[in-house]
Parts: sequence; C-alpha cells; structure tokens
Amino acid sequence: MSLIIEKNQIKGWLAGLKKNFIIIETKKMVLPAKQYFFPPKEDIFIFNKISGKLSVPEKREKLLLVCSHLGELEAMTQLDEIMKTPRPDWYYWQKRDQSVLVGIVDQSVEAASGGDLILEKINKEQYRALILTAQGKKLIKKDFFKEIEKPKIKKYLPESKPLKELLLDPELLSEAVAWSWQTKHKIWDELGKKCLGCGICTYVCPICHCFSIEDRVDLDGEKCVRCRQWDACTLPRFAQVAGGHNFHKSIKERYYNWFYHKFVRAYKEYGRTQCVACGQCARYCPAGISIEKVLLEIVGDYKKK
Amino acid sequence: MTNIYQPFKVKIKKIEKHSDNVKLFRLVREKGKFLKNKQGLIFNPGQFVLAGIFGYGEAPFGPASSPYNDSYLDIVVRRVGTLTEAFHRAKEGDGIFLRGPYGNGFPMDFIEGKDLVLVTGGCGIPPIAAAIEYIIANREKFGRVYLIYGAKTPQDILIKDRLKKWEKDIKVLLTVDEPDKNWQGPVGMVTELIDEIEINAPNAAAAMCGPGPMMDALEKILRPLGISDRRVFVNLERKMHCGVGHCQHCVSGDKYVCQDGPVFNFDEIDKNWD
Repeated sequence: MSLIIEKNQIKGWLAGLKKNFIIIETKKMVLPAKQYFFPPKEDIFIFNKISGKLSVPEKREKLLLVCSHLGELEAMTQLDEIMKTPRPDWYYWQKRDQSVLVGIVDQSVEAASGGDLILEKINKEQYRALILTAQGKKLIKKDFFKEIEKPKIKKYLPESKPLKELLLDPELLSEAVAWSWQTKHKIWDELGKKCLGCGICTYVCPICHCFSIEDRVDLDGEKCVRCRQWDACTLPRFAQVAGGHNFHKSIKERYYNWFYHKFVRAYKEYGRTQCVACGQCARYCPAGISIEKVLLEIVGDYKKK
Repeated sequence: MTNIYQPFKVKIKKIEKHSDNVKLFRLVREKGKFLKNKQGLIFNPGQFVLAGIFGYGEAPFGPASSPYNDSYLDIVVRRVGTLTEAFHRAKEGDGIFLRGPYGNGFPMDFIEGKDLVLVTGGCGIPPIAAAIEYIIANREKFGRVYLIYGAKTPQDILIKDRLKKWEKDIKVLLTVDEPDKNWQGPVGMVTELIDEIEINAPNAAAAMCGPGPMMDALEKILRPLGISDRRVFVNLERKMHCGVGHCQHCVSGDKYVCQDGPVFNFDEIDKNWD
C-alpha cells in the first residue's frame, strides 16, 4: 500500500497546514534552510546596564519548511548532528525542535537522508508520501492522501554530477585533500590568488556554521545586546586575536582550512564530508571557483601519484 | 536543555596593577563561592574561563589563582583590544560576567611523581601560576620543579610577590629580553639556563604557555635536557567566541583548542597542518 497525493492537491494540503505552522518554501532562495534555526544575525542576550538585568530573547514559532531537494534535507540532518555536538546549541534547538521539514521532490527517492515527511514524484500527476518521523505522520490528512495498492510508479533519476560521485567515497576525498596540502599541490597557490576571501560560499552553504559573538550598545548606553552572527573561516580576521596576531594570515591558508574542515576533519569527526553537492557555493562565488573542479583535480592527481 | 552561552555575574573585588599595561582582577561570586569539581578544584590548572563585559564582548583567560581557593578567581589582563581596554577602565566593585571553566587543563595526574620544568613568557604566566599553586598544595607528590619565566623587560615580570613566595618550594629562573642596568640574570631563552636545571630526564615533563617562548624553549632547553616532545604540554592561545566547540574560530587542524585543549602535548601540535 502506498499513500498518494495528487499533484494538484498539494497546494490545498499545505494551505490547510497554515493553521498550525508558518509555511516556508525554500525553492529559489539564496540562503539555505539553516537561516531559520541559525539566523544570519540573532540577539542572544539583552543586558540592561542600569538595572543589571540579563535576559534571553525567546522566539517560539512553529515553522514548516518545504524543501525541493533531497540535498537540503541531508544538509539539515548533518547540521542537526553538528548542533548537538559536543553539547546542544540552545538557540538552534529552541527553533529547530518546533519545526517540521517536508521534502517535495521531483525525483525518485532511493534513500531518505532527512526530513520528517517526503513527497516523492511517482508520475506526472501523483506524489507518494514517505513518512519518516512521528511529526511527519501528523501532517498526513485523510482529505488529501489516499491509500492506493498499486500506484503507477515511474523512475525519475536525479541529475548526475561528478561531485556527487566523489562524495560517495569520503575516505578517498579526505586522503586526497590532506595529501594535496602536504605535497604543496599547485592548486592551493592558484586558489590563494583567485579567492577573494569574501565568505559568500560559506553563507550559501547549507552546512557551514561558523559564527562570531559580538556586543552592540544602544545609543542611550542603557541596553547592550549580545549578538551571534554568521562568520566565515575565509574572512581575513577569522583567526586573528586582539593584539593583531593572525593564526591564518593568508587566503591560501584560510581557503584550505575551509576545505580541510569540510572534507578531512568532518570525515574524522562524523564519518562523512560536510558537502551535499548542492552547487550553491559555485553558483554564487564572485571569483568563479567551483569546488567540484577543485576536488576533481585533486582526486585525479592523488590517484595518479 | 541548558543555555550553554549563559554567563554568570561576578564582582571585581580587587584590582592590582602589575605593569604598564597589565592588571590583575580578583573576581568573587555575587552570592556564595565558586563551585568545586570532584577533585575539589574550582578549575583544573590550564583550563580557561570566558570573561566578559556587556557591550564589549567576551574573551578567554586562564585563571592565575589557586584552583583550591573557591572564594575568588584571579585573571590577568593585558590591555590589547576593546574588551581588555574596558577591563582596564573598570573599578573595584564593578560587575562582570563569566562562563566556564572550559577545556582540559594540564594533566596534573600524569605529571605527579615526575620532575617538571615550567616555561612561560610575559602574559603566559596565569595558567602556569595556577599549576604551581596546585603543585605547592601537593608538594610531596611532585619531583624537582623549575619555573623558567621570560619577560621583555624586568618591569614586565608579573605577579612578582608570588614568584618570591614560590621560591621556598620550587626553583624560579627569570630571564628578560631587554635588561636594564640592575638586571643580573640571563638575557633571553638561552641554553645556559640548562646549567641551573637538574632533572631525571626519563622521568620528567614540561608545561608551557605559549606561543612566545615555545619554539625557543623547546630547542634550546627542553630537548637538550632530554624531555620528550610527548611530555611537553603546551597551553595554546587562539581566538575564541563560543568556548564550547561550535563557532570554529579556535580550530587548529583537527583540534578544537576550546574542547580538546587548550593543553596539548607538543607532538600533537606538531602533526597538525597549521
């Protein structure tokens, strides 16, 4: 038995869920889903200098995110794990715990890598529901979903990308990236010259999660706000301490550090790379750097060595 | 779920000026005392706290007071940036905020029963000072203990009163880079310091707070003495924002300085790509 929803019913089903959730469709958004749980800027403490009172702003909204790519859901699964380790990030989970992730994908699902509910395209008119969590199950409304014994199922293969192939072997990737630095591969000098150090790749990445914590004071000098905001490990002052010493002085070092985290350290920490081949970083890089091409070159040379 | 970023309020009980740009701040809790861990310590020597003033942010400091003393915690602050500038403007009685302690600290259990050479320079003295207080409180458990403390000029030597007190229990060797007329001791991290040190190298360890004197001390003193790199424990400094392994600022190669460190053996540091 399969739970089926007609394509033309999806809109109505989502509209019905608006009673309980704020519905957000991530399609065509520049910034990834992480922005709703780990916002680009977030006030984490408010301190009143006069009264000496410290308070924590609380935000309680029930979000339902509709993602159109499996990669987005996989990235959220990874980010959830990161934000639990080594101890849960309170601000992330305040929002994430109340939210529901739904995938409506125009491809066949071989392995569901995240989300609470996935609607998988099975033919031109119909989608099949894959329930992944109890929260996902609650979203199934009888008016919209029908049990069908043998629905017509067509295969919709995802577009194949060389980067996706590479990600299937995270061990090889981690070895190749570490090898390329140890052997002073010329690509790092080239990237050091090409990269503008703007940080855009990390902002549009659905998994990147660097941040800084900074204070700001209202003009009256009474209210201080401690604010957490996205940072990027490729920015010039990311590892610079007061007094001026910079632990990652050159763009080359910072760019490699970004790669090292995604493809080497992440593999050691979590057994997988922190990349889902979404291609956002390449799409928005003003210098035209494609990590797919970089990895292909490194892995190619590593295999030849 | 607890908010891992929530700091608690402390009061500045006392401020001591230690040099032109360094002050010591004695911090006490608003009510009660600092919490002790299972070993009866309010922090492990070498651990750090994040101390902050709202409006100026937070930064990591290694406490310099005895970890056994739960009535106050000392931090030593050099004026180098916005936050430390705000610290230097603060007055006794002002309230500030703390989080922590965080990180691992020096492996004091491992060092027990061994001879120990402590090396630090300038503002790196606080965690070493805490380790010395720990050692003195358990003096019979440790072998011969030496402190090599380097400063830029004789005026830059911090916590001078305590250095004198320590001389009863450990050997204190001071060195400066720029001596004045009255200075009679050694100049720089020089090999000659070895002549003052008598240790049983196979059963010795070293603890450092870098990065200033690290390479010099390693090459000129610790390696010639025969202390293995694996027994050289270094307390690292990095930029830190969260202190709890999330923000990525302090990462060095595979290690989070805030979580896996700030104390590493030199062998571990040497293998890291950066």
